[in-house]
Amino acid sequence: MISHSYSYKSYLILTLISIMVFSQGCEKDLPRFVAFEPYSFVNSDDNGGTWKQVLLTNIEQIKIDIPAAPGSDAYKNELTSAKAAIAAMSAGDEKTIQYWGNNPIIRWNEIARELAAKYNLIPPPNADGTYTLPDPANPGKFPYFPFAHPPYSSRVYAYMSVAQFDALIATWHYKYKYTRPALYKSDSSVKQSLPTSDTPSYPSDGAVIGAVSRDILSAMFPLETEYLKGKAEELKEALLLSGLHVQSDITAGDSLGRGVAKIVLQRAAVDGMKAAQTPKPISDSIKNAAFVRFGWKWTNQETPERPVGLTPFFGKVKTWSVPDLVAVRPPAPPAIGSEEFIKAADELKNIAKNITTEQRKIANWWSDGFNTTTPPGHWNKFASDYLIKYKYNPLRSARVLAYMNMAIQDAGISCWDAKYYYHYPRPIEAIPGFKGILGTPNFPSYTSGHSTFSAAAAAVLAHIFPAEKMQVEEWANEAAESRIYGGIHYRFDSEAGLEQGRKVAEYTISRAMIDGAN
Amino acid sequence: MKNKILLFLILSTISQTAGKAQTPSDALMMDKNELCIALLYQNDKWDEYWEGTLLRDNQNIGVLTRNTFMPMVAYGVTKKFNIIASLPYVETEASRGQMVGASGLQDFGIFVKYLLYELKKESGSLVTFISGGFSLPVSSYLSDYMPFSLGLGTQEFSLRGILKYEHKSGIYLRGSYAYLHRTTTEAERDYYYADGSHYTTTMDVPNASTFDIALGGWLLNKSIQLEVGYLQQSALSGDDIRRQNAGQPTNKMDMTSGNARLRYFPTILKGTSIMAGYSEVFSGRNIGKSSIISGGITYQFMVKKAQL
Repeated sequence: MISHSYSYKSYLILTLISIMVFSQGCEKDLPRFVAFEPYSFVNSDDNGGTWKQVLLTNIEQIKIDIPAAPGSDAYKNELTSAKAAIAAMSAGDEKTIQYWGNNPIIRWNEIARELAAKYNLIPPPNADGTYTLPDPANPGKFPYFPFAHPPYSSRVYAYMSVAQFDALIATWHYKYKYTRPALYKSDSSVKQSLPTSDTPSYPSDGAVIGAVSRDILSAMFPLETEYLKGKAEELKEALLLSGLHVQSDITAGDSLGRGVAKIVLQRAAVDGMKAAQTPKPISDSIKNAAFVRFGWKWTNQETPERPVGLTPFFGKVKTWSVPDLVAVRPPAPPAIGSEEFIKAADELKNIAKNITTEQRKIANWWSDGFNTTTPPGHWNKFASDYLIKYKYNPLRSARVLAYMNMAIQDAGISCWDAKYYYHYPRPIEAIPGFKGILGTPNFPSYTSGHSTFSAAAAAVLAHIFPAEKMQVEEWANEAAESRIYGGIHYRFDSEAGLEQGRKVAEYTISRAMIDGAN
Repeated sequence: MKNKILLFLILSTISQTAGKAQTPSDALMMDKNELCIALLYQNDKWDEYWEGTLLRDNQNIGVLTRNTFMPMVAYGVTKKFNIIASLPYVETEASRGQMVGASGLQDFGIFVKYLLYELKKESGSLVTFISGGFSLPVSSYLSDYMPFSLGLGTQEFSLRGILKYEHKSGIYLRGSYAYLHRTTTEAERDYYYADGSHYTTTMDVPNASTFDIALGGWLLNKSIQLEVGYLQQSALSGDDIRRQNAGQPTNKMDMTSGNARLRYFPTILKGTSIMAGYSEVFSGRNIGKSSIISGGITYQFMVKKAQL
């Protein structure tokens, strides 16, 4: 039965099927990393080698070889092989060079944030209602090590940034000691893929950054060692093809970076983090001490109940700049049931009942919960964007991140000191029947971590980028407010946290003011 | 009456996590100028869900309940061409834990259905339909709030082919295949992790296909319609929920379910029908193991042509 209408229908079906097949092929392209073009640095910081290091005590603590002179046979051989490699470069290589750019600090910060997000998942309950904690001695056994919660991540960002900063100060020292010119300056026929710079090329700052970042992150995320090695190798390859470097620039940078990382990790091994996750008897005694002192205590509200709060002794981890945590510990929160408490509780109940779309957006924008880069990661993203906006060189970039992340980790340590000293119950525990739009974390309420982290980060950024002061302070206040909208903090948690974060950052800033970089 | 049986609404094609309202995947048409109004209700509950491929419970959710109230209208433009529109109201709630549920209007949907081919023989009949649909969110609900979110927060274009054979005895077999093309949804955060970093508020919601097959028949002088069916929904891309993570709209949500439905046309209330159904999810991925009870009433009548 072949009729006109029949063929028409067949045609229609074929058309519809082809639309379906076609539209299945439409992948939606979404940005997987921050897109930016390599840029010329606003300043080369020629005196960077004289700046004060954070942990290293001697600028030549890690020694590197004296480079071969530009006219030497050794250098000429290196130049020939670099040129050959550049001549054989593929389009993919060109893309890799542009991805890393001339400030790999930005990419390594991005990599650290991604790993924080990847590992920021809390262990699930076992079938019998118990919980297993990640075991650093056996990281590949589920639940995988680490659980990159905010305190853990704040420490990752701080160690990586400090190591980068110390290593780059040493790098700048050697660069201006040996003043080896960039490859393309030695041979004008060399194809040069990144913006030009007068900064000497030995050792390669990019290779230093890659090596130091890789080793710090591998220690913090042991299951990612191979992945991180691959990223560092890719960066070294890109540097060699960029037209800026010969192989010995990169080799020296690599060994300098790895040497600095080793020293920095010595501090990490004994900073108290290993003991931060206390066993139940100690957690219980911390809780009872607070109850005796104040008449209240925080208890995890999940089912099954998590027997131990998150890192009760993070408040005992070694600070970077704060000499005395008691001096920055805020006064006690209002007693449960007091007039001030009832006022704060009523505000939360009212928001829960009448939350606006705007309030919901703010709560979610700043939620930074599981599966995210954490609140410290959120501020690292802001800082990274400023590094690009202000066209900072790698050394000055590392300085921003080092001071900001030291302030952030110190803020976290100070906040955790207050959290477990006061052991104050969360809204879901102290207000009967209360529910919110954010999940309540597994640690006491007072003070708000996000507020403390954010105020500290904002203070450092405002100091370094005065033109951004209004913006970063607005962000910090909004972050603090977001916890109230989300129903996980009382207003007094947030306000005390902001104040505490600002106080902590003062110590960091006064240190930054005399490091020789101003 | 039998020839102008109204639209049969497949209640159980609602995928609970996807939260989409039903799409008309039946094989029945209304006459020209015939209007059907319907009010449908669905109660979807689960106390276990698939975290990736792992079936688990979550005592901080307990039982997740999703209630859907959906008014719907269908109109016969011609005997071969029908238009259907729907607007569900959804509310969600967990029996345990401290996370608040959500409620509000979900997605407005409009569908057209066209009778492509019909072959009538003494022994039975064979019909083929094609239907297309479009839906879009009508409230500012947040899709990135799993498992409480009202829906996926995307526009959805659907294209469906339906084939039905009905024996003269009234027993029929019907199958349909649909392709669901979804646009993206907007989260309220500018970074998220889904098999790696994403620096955007935009989330890619996987497209999906559904396949269903049903066996049915008529009883008591065609006053009762009974049907049992099988439905399979597969996302064409997407990531898995990682251990102890919450779901997100980027997830690959798959499921298979079985269902039974009954529809009654009371002779004393001409043009009215009452529907009831039950559906159970057998297997899934990144989705709740739902049991769904549904019910509804429809009323159908002829609309007089306006005099010009």
